[in-house]
Amino acid sequence: MMITNKFNFMKTLYLLFSILGMMGVVKADETKAREVLVALISSSSKSEEARYVEDLTELGDPIIANVVASWRVGEISYSKSQDKVYIVSGFETYEDLLTGAVISPAGDRAIDRPSRKLRKKLSRIVDFLDLKSPDLEKRMAASRKFGSSQKPEFIEVLREFEAKQDDPEVAAAFRESIAMSLLENGTRDERIQSVKLLGDTYVFAARDNIAKILKDASSGETVDEELVSSCKSALISIDGRQDLLDIVGTLFRGLSTGSVLLLVSYGLAITFGQMGVINMAHGEFIALGGYSVYLVQNYVLKHFGESSVMYEWYFVIALPIAFGVTALAGCLLEKGLIQFLYKRPLESLLATWAVSMIMQQALRLYFGAANVSVSSPEWLSGSYDFGGVMMSYNRIALIVFAIFVVIVTSLLLSKTNWGLHVRATMQNRQMASSLGVPSSRVNMLTFAFGSGLAGLAGAFIAQIGNVGPSMGQTYIVDSFMVVVVGGVGNLMGTAISSLGIGLVDQGLQPLLGPVMGKISVLFGIILFLQFRPGGIFPARSRSLDD
Amino acid sequence: MNRNSLFDSKAELGLVWSLLAFVLVLPILNMVAPEGSFLHVSSFQLSVWGKYLCYAVLAVSLNFLWGYTGLLCLGQCLFFALGGYAFGMYLMLMIGDLGGYKSSLPDFMIFLGYSELPMYWKPFYSPYFALFAAMWVPGLVAFLFGLLAFRSRIKGVYFSILTQALTYAAALLFFRNDFTFGGNNGFTDFKFIFGQEFYDPSVARGLFWGSGALLLGVYVLLAWLLKSKFGLVQRAIRDSENRVRFSGYSTTHYKVFIFVLSAMIAGLAGALYVPQAGIINPSEMWPTKGLDIVVWVAVGGRGSKFGPIIGAILINLLKSYTTREYPESWLLILGFVFLFVVLFMPNGVVGLWDQLKERFSKKRSASDPGDEILKSN
Repeated sequence: MMITNKFNFMKTLYLLFSILGMMGVVKADETKAREVLVALISSSSKSEEARYVEDLTELGDPIIANVVASWRVGEISYSKSQDKVYIVSGFETYEDLLTGAVISPAGDRAIDRPSRKLRKKLSRIVDFLDLKSPDLEKRMAASRKFGSSQKPEFIEVLREFEAKQDDPEVAAAFRESIAMSLLENGTRDERIQSVKLLGDTYVFAARDNIAKILKDASSGETVDEELVSSCKSALISIDGRQDLLDIVGTLFRGLSTGSVLLLVSYGLAITFGQMGVINMAHGEFIALGGYSVYLVQNYVLKHFGESSVMYEWYFVIALPIAFGVTALAGCLLEKGLIQFLYKRPLESLLATWAVSMIMQQALRLYFGAANVSVSSPEWLSGSYDFGGVMMSYNRIALIVFAIFVVIVTSLLLSKTNWGLHVRATMQNRQMASSLGVPSSRVNMLTFAFGSGLAGLAGAFIAQIGNVGPSMGQTYIVDSFMVVVVGGVGNLMGTAISSLGIGLVDQGLQPLLGPVMGKISVLFGIILFLQFRPGGIFPARSRSLDD
Repeated sequence: MNRNSLFDSKAELGLVWSLLAFVLVLPILNMVAPEGSFLHVSSFQLSVWGKYLCYAVLAVSLNFLWGYTGLLCLGQCLFFALGGYAFGMYLMLMIGDLGGYKSSLPDFMIFLGYSELPMYWKPFYSPYFALFAAMWVPGLVAFLFGLLAFRSRIKGVYFSILTQALTYAAALLFFRNDFTFGGNNGFTDFKFIFGQEFYDPSVARGLFWGSGALLLGVYVLLAWLLKSKFGLVQRAIRDSENRVRFSGYSTTHYKVFIFVLSAMIAGLAGALYVPQAGIINPSEMWPTKGLDIVVWVAVGGRGSKFGPIIGAILINLLKSYTTREYPESWLLILGFVFLFVVLFMPNGVVGLWDQLKERFSKKRSASDPGDEILKSN
């Protein structure tokens, strides 16, 4: 079943062609190709086969690719008594290869498969077909295949095709392939030219070949200075490019890890940093945000269907809902519990830990212990090829959103009336309320806002990972660390420390592996705090006990 | 009660005597009472109670730190697990060539491709060295961490968060296979202990007595420390560290000493826990375990000497009952119980009596204004 699935596309194509065949608009080339294919499949002599293969090479009709694919996976049957070749597809539908008509098969049919040698030859024909393919990607891939095979007989073919290419990118790909082949087969000058070309265009695939040429050229009795120097500079150019790509890739991954950290810890930076409340249920708020997205997705799927515009944009609808749901939960938690514990941080830690246990188990009972997955909308899946570094769209969206959250939060705090009240209350609760700031409402709204940010973080994490009842536990230690490292009470510090930790984490991972990298980061943070107990931006205070 | 007595009240003395009686009698019942009789205690039950006693020691060690010094350590489970791993190493080596690969090396090392025991494993052939290490390895970790943290005056919530990060990092480290401590699976399938068959009833009895003796010993030691001048300074640090420092005491030294002592006690508890549980793996040092211990202490009554023992046993009895009868609602029940205790019973189960008494007498006598000032600090 697996194999047939893989070739579904081929089959569809084939069906299309066979329908065209029945309608009588079969092109002359295709009719001929069908005849040769039937002859090839039914023949039993090696010399005949070789002749047919040659014929097919010259014909080069798209049907050949389809039939060859079917043949390889055992979808071709041959009946000796009627001398007919069938293509079996789907629900035992038999089609006569010669005419393309659906017929009832003969009794003595047997599945026919090409021999290994023949298969190799046939795949070459298919590659040749790809060289002419209207799909540019396919064309370039085929040219690279011929180039890296380094067989001298293909050079002429490639040159011939290169001249016909209109698209500059495709033409360049053909030139690179020719150069690849010339590395092995060309004259001395051609080889130097090729080395230079491959070095200038940073072809990683050629690195080993050039290194080999360099080794041969410098170890012989007469050292070919020009060849050696061009090889050396080509290698430097390719390696430099590789290093650059590695750095860019690490930077991107670091930024995206940092953005995840920033999103999960920004809410905490407000509730813990600004308000001084240790909310151990912060992680469960993240999970709540993730489940909100999951529920919205299911709702939209049920009422609008998978192909609707609504489904395409459900994530945009889910974001404010995730924010709202968690903000409401935060509101309830503040009113019901935390407002009694402002003076006792350790007790708020313990009480919210209890809440976190309850929420975690409630989520598990309601949604089940297994993780649920949330599908990415079309516009968030896939990735952007940044000169060889793949950047997935949902990670890019994550980074953009993290920046958005930082900007919006800082605007809210510095430009609005509410922000003024928040800052006043956080600096001195009693003084603020005696000056008329409604401090209990400000507390509630601030806590709700911080919790809502956790919900947004959960919504985004749902796009890059799974949603589960204990997903919050994964992030809670990290987010407390980020806030403490940044300096409690300093939002900018949180932003900087999350990016810094993300970059260090991703920078260490290639050297130490993911788990050891994380462990080193944790120990590094613990050590860092010994020397700067107040974090990057320590809170200034004249109070002795702060 | 006599001023010089170790115990504060008759009630406390009564509790200690009944604990002693319990520790002595349970294994005797296991030995004497015939199977099927009403009084019979199976070896399994004995091990379960032995584990609870170890938990009680662990809770006492955290209470010494949190209840009397004000240092809420969320990584106490790390010291417990380190002690457990140290003694577990001895137990692993005692399996000898009875393991799955019939080699003198522990199975997971064969799996990792080791042909020889790593250097640091060799001394663990001796059970006494293992017990010694179970004390000193956690002690050393606590010393290094405590020295650094207390010197830079990390305290309060920050100390809690850092200890949580420490145990989290350590758990990640122990989860790794190439750390040579069994990775995910940890140590299990023990065969011999002190030359005895591991599942012999006499082993269960010995371990139970050992755990009881440890609990009583630790209790008496801490009671003595708390009675001494040291204990007074300790509580003074809890109530107002700056005043103590300004009075000329090096609070850092006191705190480091207390932290190390409590880690060593936790390590010993872990060492006795592992043979009774039959397994040790990195999940024992996962941050949630550290919070579990805090729950025991808080429910029993922090800052009271007997409270943590009651809390540890009570919560674990409740856990074993609920996870059997209503497995899905255990965390919900624990959460609500804990929430209730934090909000309405600041002195835990032990303090409940005083709390109620105070509540009903409040109307008659106004409380001493000095109390309020002390509490607000």
